[in-house]
Amino acid sequence: MPAPAAPNSDDQLSLFSPPPSSPKQPIIYPLHHSLSSPVSRIAISWSRGNTLRLSLLPQPSSNGGIEVNDGDDSSGGSVVEVKLSAGNGGIDDDAQWRRIVYGSVAPFAMFQSRKNSAFSFSKLPVGALSNVDWWEYVMEYSKEINSLLGTTKSMASSIVDDPRRILMVDEEPTSLKAAWELLEIFYADKQSQAWLPERLVDWLADYDSLFSETQFTVYSKLVDLQQRLLNMQTIEDDQKYWDCLSSALALGWLDIVVKLLRLHGSYQLDQLSRRETENGLVEAVVVLVSKMPRLRPELQAGRLGECYKNKTDFIKGWETWRARVTKLECSGYWVQCGHQKTREGLRKILQIMLGNTEHLSATTCHWVELYIAHFIYIRPFTVGFESLYSQAQKCIQLKPVSHPHSLMGLMVGILGENTEVVLAECSRAFGPWMVTHAIELLTAGNDQSEILLHEVRQNLGGVSIEELHRLVYAQVLASNQLTWQIAPVYLTSCRPGMGMLEILLYRQPVHLKQGLLKNLEICRLYELDTVSSNIMKIAGVHHWKHGRKGSGIFWLQQAQDEIRLNKIAQQLFDFVGKSVSEESFKQWEGLIELLGSDTRTAGGLEFLHKYRDFKRSLQQVVDGKATDAARQAVESLILLMKNPSTPQQFWLPLLHDSLKLLTWREGPLLDVAQTNLLLNKLQELSMARMRPDYVEADLPTQALSTVRLALATNLGRAILEEQ
Amino acid sequence: MEKTVATLEKGTVCSAWNYSAQRLATGSINGLLTIFDSPDPASSSPFSPSSFQVHEGSIVKVAWVPPEYGDAIACILDDGTLSLWEEVTGEGQSLQWKICTKFQNKSARVLDIQFGGSSTCLKLVVAYSDGYAKVYELQNPLELNTWQLQAEFQNVIDSVSKFAKASCLSASISWIPQIGESQQLSFVLGFNSDIPQLNSSKVWEFDQLHQRWLTVAELALPENTGDPVHAVAWAPNICRPYEIISVATQMGIAIWHIGLHPDVNGHLSVEKIALLSGHQGEVWQMEWDMSGMTLASTGSDGVVRLWQSNLNGVWHEQAVLEPTS
Repeated sequence: MPAPAAPNSDDQLSLFSPPPSSPKQPIIYPLHHSLSSPVSRIAISWSRGNTLRLSLLPQPSSNGGIEVNDGDDSSGGSVVEVKLSAGNGGIDDDAQWRRIVYGSVAPFAMFQSRKNSAFSFSKLPVGALSNVDWWEYVMEYSKEINSLLGTTKSMASSIVDDPRRILMVDEEPTSLKAAWELLEIFYADKQSQAWLPERLVDWLADYDSLFSETQFTVYSKLVDLQQRLLNMQTIEDDQKYWDCLSSALALGWLDIVVKLLRLHGSYQLDQLSRRETENGLVEAVVVLVSKMPRLRPELQAGRLGECYKNKTDFIKGWETWRARVTKLECSGYWVQCGHQKTREGLRKILQIMLGNTEHLSATTCHWVELYIAHFIYIRPFTVGFESLYSQAQKCIQLKPVSHPHSLMGLMVGILGENTEVVLAECSRAFGPWMVTHAIELLTAGNDQSEILLHEVRQNLGGVSIEELHRLVYAQVLASNQLTWQIAPVYLTSCRPGMGMLEILLYRQPVHLKQGLLKNLEICRLYELDTVSSNIMKIAGVHHWKHGRKGSGIFWLQQAQDEIRLNKIAQQLFDFVGKSVSEESFKQWEGLIELLGSDTRTAGGLEFLHKYRDFKRSLQQVVDGKATDAARQAVESLILLMKNPSTPQQFWLPLLHDSLKLLTWREGPLLDVAQTNLLLNKLQELSMARMRPDYVEADLPTQALSTVRLALATNLGRAILEEQ
Repeated sequence: MEKTVATLEKGTVCSAWNYSAQRLATGSINGLLTIFDSPDPASSSPFSPSSFQVHEGSIVKVAWVPPEYGDAIACILDDGTLSLWEEVTGEGQSLQWKICTKFQNKSARVLDIQFGGSSTCLKLVVAYSDGYAKVYELQNPLELNTWQLQAEFQNVIDSVSKFAKASCLSASISWIPQIGESQQLSFVLGFNSDIPQLNSSKVWEFDQLHQRWLTVAELALPENTGDPVHAVAWAPNICRPYEIISVATQMGIAIWHIGLHPDVNGHLSVEKIALLSGHQGEVWQMEWDMSGMTLASTGSDGVVRLWQSNLNGVWHEQAVLEPTS
């Protein structure tokens, strides 16, 4: 990010947001540099992924640079690296962010493979597979990703020993986790669709604190109260106490309500006798709050409310409970309650339980809170997605916000079943990681989103929106040396990704062995043979040119680069052809060894092998070893001379080297046929010398005639021998 | 946030990163070529520079040779020549930069160069101030001094016309980005000259059958064919059923779509998708990112602009990077 990456800010350089309604002005980022003179020219280069490297060059002095060291001591320019759209989901700690990035690879890959196998098995679009197993997979995926985003315990669950401590949060909740859970509730968790309102109640209980960043919330009210509690004696005299009670109740935070009510002064032992009725009323409300019916399968241990698993029972329970609330509301005891604030406060609480719209609106702070309050008290029988959106719209009208929190935007998108808005909000607020992983949930069972996200778009150059987001995310991964190696998982999960993977691998440096091997391993995994051979070529040439000839040959052989290997063989020929002295030959012997006996490689290399064998035998002969060695040398020589791949320029040096064999004292080593072969070659060579392109070997001028004489002598002896 | 990765020597006028963004080559006004090396990709240690003299005058542009051919740099010099330098170890010597070859041309100056081709066949296009482009081919992939002139032509639609007295200020070449052994050879070339016919960007393709270079497309509307071209850039294509080339003229940056399949006359269909205005003054350089979806441009106004297409295919300016001290 060129600009300070404020979480949830609108000014992130987010890629591919939906078309704005009005022409959008580009965002301007300052590029800070420390040059003393103004920048006159910038050179651009894309580095890894979506990293830009910019050379900022000031106007060079007009004196041609001859006196550049005189005068001012300014530098000549600077190179800055700009990371575009790092997109860390609003999580500032790099290590924590990387843990999320790494951790999400396995669930993503697993889900892809399950999707693929489900798809190939049924030959149906994934969306059509709405069986139980499928939803389990989706949920498993969602839960695994969710677990990476941290653990947040509901604040209401932490009512521990300290009676005056009403709020407790173990870990700072993140918007990223809140957003993911919202998506999970609506798109993945089909099991709990029947008790959606209760899930939203829990969700807000966990994350209302996040909204406090941009607006006043019930949570922030409670935080204020928490501070005051420590110094307050008669809490019931404080209007804030009663406000907070109503607010917490409106959001269904029953535990907090009960805990706060129990702090009421009438509970104190010395007060009990004087304030008996007052205390009785408080306790009656406590009982009603604790027994509030809730349509949900279970409650965490210690949490308040009565659970109902099915709607029919719930409706009955709700009606009974409401009747009791109404009864208390109409009770004559209120007249006997002497404490005015208590009386009013408690009756307001009852009004909230009875679903008084005005009170609900007055006690909640922003529209999401009001929306949740509506679910609990006004439309408690809502199941599934009935008119969720219009209800939200009403709440937004009642409590408009000037700077909506990103989670609000996301919620509106989800409730409005507008996939594009959901994606845009995810992208804007949380970046490419979120979008890439969230799309899996969006398309999990929603045919409409699936069509929208999987449709190949000509406008985008033949990719779908899903693919586009994976490419964008992979590019972000590729920009970091620590994460580029997981980019292939995302690239190979989409059709156009392979092309980008090839580019990515091609751009990895090859001069360090470890990196090179890792690259090749990735190529092997995804069957990218062409890229792998290219990488090996680059490595081979690099080593060859940098004096590591052995490594050079090794990698060029791995690449099966016939052209370059032939050129190297040619260089070896040229060398061997020029000089056959033992010392210099030894330098090359290792290379010939390396070139190997692989028959697939050039014929020229085969020659070098035979040549080496020949030289070895010859060496033994020179060292005075037995006639056997000499015979072996002759065999090698004949093989070499017969082989069509032996370059002509070597014929004479070979024969000249073999003079000792041709004139072997103990008797002729070559038979008539062999001698004739060599004589023929010599004849051919004499003819070739006439041609202008003939390369004269570095030998004494009389070499040819000496060899011819030796061959003639050998022939004579061989004929005699054979008779 | 931006971070400074290297501080350049005084008088630096041009720079280029190698394929893996590990090495930076810069050229200076007094003929020094400096190489900055990053010792280890994972480390954040600063780049260490080493310099050597390649010329008496100024270096105008530097370009790395594709990595399949070693660590080598081509330098365009202010006397209009081109020299090629390579990092090698000689017999019993340590690693050093050595000159491989010089491209001399008495009648015209080198304006721009670009390496292209494949891992098996390296090509070099050189654009000259007389409106000619020369295509050289490397004969031996291990020896960077074995260049052979393959073709020579002016940047015109019909090969018959010749303009003898052309005077060109600048030229821009961009090869089709591809890796591996693909045989397709194409590049786009545009000039800024006093001859209108030479100016417009034309896509040149090598006709394997007849072993010759042909223009297969012209990237200019009929009324703008004579407009001088300041920069061209061919976008990487990872899956598009068409190619994208950006062309910068005084009108702005035009985004062109080029069809993949030629018609009966051998021409490719072209469509101007967008004309992006934003830069004040000339555009000097344009670079596509690895996905071919974001274009970065810079020019005489001293800022970097980033361009993208939205989901509806509408191109717009996404961001501006503005140097401030």
